Amino acid sequence: MMTGPLIRLNHIERCYPLGKQQFFYVLRDINLEVEEGDFVSVMGPSGAGKSTLLHLLGMHDFGWTGEYFLDETAVHRLKPKERTTLRNEQIGFVFQNYNLLDDLTVYENLDIPLSYRRYGKSERSALVADTLDRFSIVGKKDLYPRQLSGGQQQLVSIARAIIAKPKLILADEPTGNLHSSQAAEIMQLFKKLNSEGTTIIQVTHSETNAAHGNRIVQLRDGWIVDSLGGK
Amino acid sequence: MFQDLRHALRLLAKNPLFTLVGILTLGLGIGATSAVFTLVNALLIKPLPYEDPAHLVLLFEHFKDQHLDTIPVSPPEFLEYKAQLKSFNKLAAFDTATFNLSEGELPERVFGAKVSADLFPLLGVQPIRGRTIRPEECAVGRDDVVVISERLWRRKFDRDPRVLGSKLMADGRAFTVVGIMPASFEFPLPLFNVTGAQFGEQADVWQPLGFTDAEMKRRGSRSYGVIGRLAPGVSSQQAQAELETVVRGMRTQFKDNYPQSDSFGATLFPLKEQVVGGMKPLLFILLGAVGLVLLIACANLATMLLARATAREREMAIRVAVGASRARLLRQSLTESVVLAICGAALGILLANWSVELVKSIGTQTIPRLSEVHIDGAVLLFTLAIAIGTGLLFGLAPGLASGKPDLTESLKEGGRSSTAGRHHNRLRSALVIAEVALALVLLTGAGLLLKSFVRLQNVSPGFNPSNVLTAELSLPALRYPDKASQTNFFAELDRRIASLPGVTHAGLTIILPMSGVNSDSSFMIDDRIVDDAHPGPDEEIRLVSPDYFRALEMPLVKGRFFTAADKLDAPPVVIINRALAQRYWPNGEALGKRMQLPTREGPVWANIVGVVGDLHHRGLDQPVKPEFYVPLLQAPYPSVILAIRSPQDATSLTSALRSTIQAIDPTLPIAHVRTLEQVIADSVAPRRLSVVLLTVFAGIALILASVGIYGVMSFLVVQRTHEIGVRMALGAQRSDVLRLIIVRAGILIGTGTLIGLIIAFFSTSLLRSVLYEVSALDLSIFLFVTFVLALVALLASYIPAQRATRADPMIALGRG
Repeated sequence: MMTGPLIRLNHIERCYPLGKQQFFYVLRDINLEVEEGDFVSVMGPSGAGKSTLLHLLGMHDFGWTGEYFLDETAVHRLKPKERTTLRNEQIGFVFQNYNLLDDLTVYENLDIPLSYRRYGKSERSALVADTLDRFSIVGKKDLYPRQLSGGQQQLVSIARAIIAKPKLILADEPTGNLHSSQAAEIMQLFKKLNSEGTTIIQVTHSETNAAHGNRIVQLRDGWIVDSLGGK
Repeated sequence: MFQDLRHALRLLAKNPLFTLVGILTLGLGIGATSAVFTLVNALLIKPLPYEDPAHLVLLFEHFKDQHLDTIPVSPPEFLEYKAQLKSFNKLAAFDTATFNLSEGELPERVFGAKVSADLFPLLGVQPIRGRTIRPEECAVGRDDVVVISERLWRRKFDRDPRVLGSKLMADGRAFTVVGIMPASFEFPLPLFNVTGAQFGEQADVWQPLGFTDAEMKRRGSRSYGVIGRLAPGVSSQQAQAELETVVRGMRTQFKDNYPQSDSFGATLFPLKEQVVGGMKPLLFILLGAVGLVLLIACANLATMLLARATAREREMAIRVAVGASRARLLRQSLTESVVLAICGAALGILLANWSVELVKSIGTQTIPRLSEVHIDGAVLLFTLAIAIGTGLLFGLAPGLASGKPDLTESLKEGGRSSTAGRHHNRLRSALVIAEVALALVLLTGAGLLLKSFVRLQNVSPGFNPSNVLTAELSLPALRYPDKASQTNFFAELDRRIASLPGVTHAGLTIILPMSGVNSDSSFMIDDRIVDDAHPGPDEEIRLVSPDYFRALEMPLVKGRFFTAADKLDAPPVVIINRALAQRYWPNGEALGKRMQLPTREGPVWANIVGVVGDLHHRGLDQPVKPEFYVPLLQAPYPSVILAIRSPQDATSLTSALRSTIQAIDPTLPIAHVRTLEQVIADSVAPRRLSVVLLTVFAGIALILASVGIYGVMSFLVVQRTHEIGVRMALGAQRSDVLRLIIVRAGILIGTGTLIGLIIAFFSTSLLRSVLYEVSALDLSIFLFVTFVLALVALLASYIPAQRATRADPMIALGRG
């Protein structure tokens, strides 16, 4: 039984050089704990560092300092290849602009993360079939992303993010390009996933979306200024 | 892997223009490489079509002091080698021969050889029907059997099996056909640097070789080739050492026939080296050239893929975000490039096949073993390997470049490609510079060869080759057994041809200039001492009819030409060329002096009655040699070549010539009818082939480099559209925009040109051996090709530059 939080950030900082001895800080002294099963919404004005924090958590960005523990593993001490392995095992990412692969069908988009994780062919087929069914998109498996609506594309994107059964889903403005009814459906889906045990951290501007979670973290100018809710 | 393959094919289908340009580029590069490899495979890699060909050697003698390097062997010498040399399993003698066949309506002359009985067992090739020659048949009077080729059997006898045992009428004799050799069998193989009519000949008839008593008495009459098979376990060095021992023995035993110095000797040459060795320089030059073309094609593809990688940065970032490792992305990228390369290779094979057929059609007087030059399994395997290698090569840089996308920039909404785009630009620029440099090297090589070839074409041969028809004729021994009958025939032939309408002069010779055939003879000069310290002269001899010199329009420097009075029973006369006069009478007058010439009846003294101009007998690029001419009427020879001058197109005389000869003797065919201009053209065929091929490759390189520059500049324009919009909004004119792009292109082209010039400076020395009267650092060529390349490259960049000037600032700014 796990004793500590799923995610622990200690004194995380991220900056970019502007010139000689000058730096621009995107994240400043971030200290954050996220328990397993949390549904966290990260909010704040534009340029607060929300997406940077999310990409840091998703191990897309390595230029930070501080300590990052994921499921008790010290990410800051891992080599790049080890980080990639850990990311593949634990994390699924959902993007605002879906980021599906345009040249692959829905089926193939779902299959791609499994093929990168060396699942066998029959296992992959079973998982993809299961996920298509779970998300009720079996009939769309041979379509290409350009043939789907925005909501459908985001659905596929979420399906792709959870197909390898990650512990953590990171979502960067998942409903930013959707209209309200589609957005509501997506948030319901997230709530359902969270109720099944998946930890979710989303970046959002929407109070409505944030209300689906159990915790809100406010960022401003790279600082965490507030953290409400949680277990 | 199957997933990557499927995706690669889908991607190619989705971008047809990209795919088409890629396949064409690779098709040209791989096709050219495969075509040259086809030549290399047939000539250098494939073994000769005999059993264990690595142990076959040719034996040539030499007289070093007389600069006679590879001369054939006399019958007594051959028999002594055969008896004494233990280093060989078998030793066989052979000589080329022609046969006038009387089968069919018209007589026909075919090429063949007289061979000793050991030849076929030595080569290890079995007949497809019947048998080969038996030892007892290699004797005068018992040699009335022949072995024929499958080609002749098919052509003349329609593959009738009853031909075995039947009679074949040739040279007025009836020969029994005892065997048929397989279609792939060829002997003798033309030895390299033998240009001219004989080069393209393939033997169709093999007759037993029986030495006559007269031949056995003339140790110095050397006309037979010798081929041997080394005994198991014997190296060529060991065989050479034994051969030298035997030669020393001959020198001791026959002191009168050999100088006691080591001037006379014998050397063994690997058969393959003699057949194809001379092609090696050309083939290596061609391999180098196609290697450059392929590299340019790879660079082109790499720049195209880099551009596409920039556009696909987001896709790569998504793949990394969903779990792809760098190695996985690289594998995908390489799969795409290898698939493209294989498609290009498929086109390349088609192009290679077409170009090989073309090379074969223009290389009949240049390329040995032509029948073996075709695309086979080895070439296909090589092409596949090149395709995979090429795909890996040009896919590597873009693959590595796209393996580490900036995830945060690429994945977020509205994210631009960041520093990766700039890195790709630098790599693309470097590739274009490399392309320009390589193209310049190729163009320089082609330019030098072309200039050399033009120089060669302008060399005066020493005679006027225009409007002269030549044809070969052989008198069969049975019908023309002695000098009198031969002389009578030639006199009658001369008379009849000279009276033909349209003939100004008609001459006979036994060797045409620049035909690749030569004949030399020793002689003595009045008042000259000949001993071991002063070896007797040996120069090139020609037997000619009186009107020969006029037929070729050779200048008479002093004295007179031969006349009809210089016949069999008249005092022997000789004409020399200016080079011989200068060598042996440098300070005096050669006219009126005497030369002692060897004949079958013994040496005779001949008066020098004339001095003619020099001609380039061995080739336009070879120095003139001393030559002397003997009247054909005083030393008749059964195989002659007619040279007939006409004021109009000489080929119009062909049928009249044939009719005239058949009116004298209906059994006599003529062969190798061609103009003297054709003879000269054939003599420079090797150079012409290398010039044509290298020029084609240089042209391809230029096109590819231009396409590369066009592609890079087009992409640059697209990338800088926003910047261009800003500049125009701030007041830049169209000419300012044009200058911006052209200057950028100029920097790339200039850098590539400079690097190319440096490489060319150090590499063109490799061509020195094949250049004629042209320096490997010829400044005019270097400047000219630099100018041409720069001009074409700038034109290629002008089109995208023009496009940039037509950008609408509002639209361009809106993309920001």
